[in-house]
Amino acid sequence: MEEKDYILFENYLQRDLSASDVLAFENRLAIDTAFKHSFITYKELSGYLEQTLDEESSDFKRNLMHISEAHFNTIQTEQPKAFRKRFNIARLAIAASVVVLIGLFLFKQLKTPTYKDFNTHETIDLTVRGGSVRDLVEVTKAFNNREFSKANTILERLLKTDSENRQLQLYYAITNIELNRFETADALLIAISKSESVYKNRALWYHALSNLKQGKTEVTQSLLKQINEEADDYEQAQKLLNKLE
Amino acid sequence: MGDKKIHEDQKYIHGLLQNNSFIIQAIYDTFVPKVINYIKQNSGNATQAKDVVQEVLVTIYNQAKQKGLELTCPFDAYFFLLCKRKWLNELKKKTNKEVTINEEVLSKDDDAFTLAFETTVFGEKQELFNAMFQKLGDACKDLLKATFKIKSMEEVAKSLKITYAYARKKKSLCIGKLTKLVQESPKFNQLNNY
Repeated sequence: MEEKDYILFENYLQRDLSASDVLAFENRLAIDTAFKHSFITYKELSGYLEQTLDEESSDFKRNLMHISEAHFNTIQTEQPKAFRKRFNIARLAIAASVVVLIGLFLFKQLKTPTYKDFNTHETIDLTVRGGSVRDLVEVTKAFNNREFSKANTILERLLKTDSENRQLQLYYAITNIELNRFETADALLIAISKSESVYKNRALWYHALSNLKQGKTEVTQSLLKQINEEADDYEQAQKLLNKLE
Repeated sequence: MGDKKIHEDQKYIHGLLQNNSFIIQAIYDTFVPKVINYIKQNSGNATQAKDVVQEVLVTIYNQAKQKGLELTCPFDAYFFLLCKRKWLNELKKKTNKEVTINEEVLSKDDDAFTLAFETTVFGEKQELFNAMFQKLGDACKDLLKATFKIKSMEEVAKSLKITYAYARKKKSLCIGKLTKLVQESPKFNQLNNY
């Protein structure tokens, strides 16, 4: 854009143009895409500057900071009390969990474990990543709603432009297990579990689940034994291992 | 969101817009402890939680003021998702690594999810605008600060000892320069692809 275009933007926003100039301006907006995009950004920036540089916003930030300081100072002085309370809640929670676990243990002992006992995937949020955000939102929603076929299609598309992304690979593998496409899933899970990715232990766990679903008990057991104690899925893995043995 | 019913928790958005200390205090008492716990459990501390909460509340305030924010879900779900995303992004920046994410059931709330996403995009745009504003020369920065604080261009011209016509022209050109800087940023194109 040229200088005169920016002056025109300002005059239009300040309603300082004649009726015929307004008409000409709006006609140009309709046909000149670059002009339109620049105007939209100019307008958006004017709004941003107006909001962030005015006194009202400064007052809000000052007040917020004041309340925030007071709140955080209070909680820091109340720390020991809060800790005791949390500790009691924690003890109750542990006791309740033990009761639930014993119940679950007795119940599960009665039947052979299947893939469906363990495929309660944690919900995901891929939108903190960069990339095609529309696809990332859609895939997050689809995965969390257990629409694995839809999630699978979007993940496949995302991987075309970001093929080394371990997080996408992992979720793509999980959708393939759900869709019984074990060959694709297993190949990816092996690659991730052999990498230095933070997802390597989770990949091992899902590789085990893939084999469980395929009825390959011995391979499942061998994979479960490779999951180390540090892994998030270690307890689940031990539980499954106990049932299989 | 057009036809959806506004949630009764819209009162928190109104309260922020009115800079109502009572409502802001209520947000801290009711919703912030959960955020602090989450951040502490995920490699953070109370000071970092304080910054995340403040930044998120400023973003909500700015979005409500500039775009009119209508809450169609509980404030709790919306606010917690925003703080969590902000924290995970901070972690990602710090470690420059992948971050494992343990989502909670409330992210399944579609409205909270969509609204939080829109606010996150809005917040990222604001951060980008701010970064580009800092790149402007001092003359432009001073003129724009004066323009939006004082509001009357006559007074701005007087305070900067320049003519009214020059002040008007300069304002357009400075925002124009900012427009160019923003448009040239790859992040802006990415943010606009939503």
